[in-house]
Amino acid sequence: MSFLSDIGPFIPALWDGFLTTAAVSAASILGSFVVGTALAVVATYGGRIAAMAATIYIEAFRNISFLVLIFFFYFGLPELGIFISAFWTGVLVLSLAVGAYVADAISAGLTNVQGGVKDAATAFGLTTAQRIRLLELPLALRVSLRPLGSLFVNLILTTSILSTITLNELTNAAKIIASTTFRPFEVYFLLLILYSILTYLCSVIVHRMHVRANRFLAT
Amino acid sequence: MIKLTDVRKSYAGKVVLDGIDLAVQAGEVVSILGGSGAGKSTIVNCINGLVAPDSGSVLLDEFSVANRKGLREIRKKCATVFQNFNLYPHLTNIENITLAPVRVLGVEPKNALADAHDLLHSVGLNEHADKYPAQLSGGQKQRIGICRALAMSPDYLLLDEITSSLDPEMTAEVVDVLKLLVDKGMTMILVTHELNVARSISSRIVFLEAGRILVDVHRDVFFSDAFLDENRRIKSFIASANGL
Amino acid sequence: MPTQEGFNHFDLMLWLAGLGVTLSVFLISSVFGCLLGTLMAIGRYYQVAVIGPLLFAIGEVLRNSPVIVQLFLVYFGIPMFFGIRITQFDAAILVLTANTAAFMSVVGLSALESVDREQVLTARSFALDEMDILRRILAPQALIVALPLTIGVLVNQAQVTSLISVIGVADLTRVGHILNQKTFEPFIVWPVIGATYLVISLAISALGKHLQKRVKMSGPLANQKETFAFD
Repeated sequence: MSFLSDIGPFIPALWDGFLTTAAVSAASILGSFVVGTALAVVATYGGRIAAMAATIYIEAFRNISFLVLIFFFYFGLPELGIFISAFWTGVLVLSLAVGAYVADAISAGLTNVQGGVKDAATAFGLTTAQRIRLLELPLALRVSLRPLGSLFVNLILTTSILSTITLNELTNAAKIIASTTFRPFEVYFLLLILYSILTYLCSVIVHRMHVRANRFLAT
Repeated sequence: MIKLTDVRKSYAGKVVLDGIDLAVQAGEVVSILGGSGAGKSTIVNCINGLVAPDSGSVLLDEFSVANRKGLREIRKKCATVFQNFNLYPHLTNIENITLAPVRVLGVEPKNALADAHDLLHSVGLNEHADKYPAQLSGGQKQRIGICRALAMSPDYLLLDEITSSLDPEMTAEVVDVLKLLVDKGMTMILVTHELNVARSISSRIVFLEAGRILVDVHRDVFFSDAFLDENRRIKSFIASANGL
Repeated sequence: MPTQEGFNHFDLMLWLAGLGVTLSVFLISSVFGCLLGTLMAIGRYYQVAVIGPLLFAIGEVLRNSPVIVQLFLVYFGIPMFFGIRITQFDAAILVLTANTAAFMSVVGLSALESVDREQVLTARSFALDEMDILRRILAPQALIVALPLTIGVLVNQAQVTSLISVIGVADLTRVGHILNQKTFEPFIVWPVIGATYLVISLAISALGKHLQKRVKMSGPLANQKETFAFD
């Protein structure tokens, strides 16, 4: 029997897996963005102690393996009496972990905002909070868009690790198909290509956004 | 003898060299003059093989740039000094000078070092031997560039706009070194748009316009009033160059 | 359902064994990955026909797909498809080496391209051959650019090694899993395992910073240099 006819019946399962991957990715991108922005603002404007705390957070989450983090929360939260699904555990840990990287990218953008912009904003009577929210963050985000894009592409790849805590996303769906059809090579090879296409599409979108967001910087 | 015969080169449809015939004998100092974009530097780069001509031949004695072995021999015999110095920033000045003699000519490192110190001494930079290029002024860098070329004991020295990135004071430093080389009988091909430099050291002037050789005459002829009156375009070039 | 037990001194041995496996997989794959990646970068820098674009395509797929899927493909897929036996450890080494190589080829290429092209042309005009140019002009300058980027890749790869536990390699993470199942003490087990990874990462970073300092000390930024050698 050919590979295609073998795999045919599993296309709906694969599609379900894809939808889960997409959902967990979207939620985590949003979450990590919120976590990262908050950390970046605290690290940049929060004073010495807050900045130090942010740095410790960022260093810890960047230097501990994601799989260990996911196990810590997946097995740890129920001990605390917190019972959330694998999906939301995944979103939580991805947001916290990728947030650390996002914070770095946005901090770099924030330090890049020219002093003249800050002075002008202050001169026009904007409060510090307004200045950060209306001027510096939007400017920083334009600069950070490209690094953020590669972080989020990486996040999508990382969702595959959630298969280890039984989340039925793309990789887990493929695992089931591979063991049912006894065609692990073909299934995983197909999956490799699928992920590559997916991440490639994401990079293209990010690139478009980058070009659009920076169009006023025409050179 | 370096001999270029009907050398042609275009970049993306734009003709840079349009049939160059040029022969340089040992002992000559030839200045190639012309406005920017006339193709001056491309001639030098055709000789040292950094640019491959579209057609025509470039020979040094029996060697041709068109084949690997010939190119290697020509590169050993012709050393180039560049407009922007192109010193290797990660090597000390003396390492810049000794690299090629040791690796290409097979000179003993000890002897190469001694030779390099002699060269540095002759251009007044011996105390900078172990510094890095970034620690030198432009004029000093270019003198290191000349030492690097001379360390190859070349038969021909190719000088590509070597004073263009320098201020007048630094230019004078470099020209002094060139005069010493003229006295020693070094064969040189000098690309420049600075008339004073050309006038002070060269024996022959080649004037280039739009990729062609317009005139190829003795230095004294080139700068004579009678010649300039005959060649109005060169006269206006000189007038505008002096006006700078 | 495993019975709940406390920790004992065998757990320490288990932790050490896991640490050993993680470190050896990391070191082997890093050494070969860096070598392979450098060769790939050189191939792409010199635009070697066919091989260059092919390596580029393979590298892109490796960098743009999950390591976990690559591990499954090699460990479960290859034996089934090609009829070759492959151990978990070999699969882990193979995938991580290829992965490190893919990232290092990008690092290497951008480092090589950071060296001004004029330098290469100048060296050529002095009849230096390409091997000499690579070794004495490109490599020393590219290294300075590549070093911090390489450290970044290696810190990342040290954490990626944890994924080999999913194909059953008894590394640090696998040990964590076993101890977690045995003791039901996630708040002891995972912080200890996490701290171990943290220490490994910080050690790599520290080593990298030290190397960077040394490279800078002997480079154009240092004022003094006593040694001079062309072998």
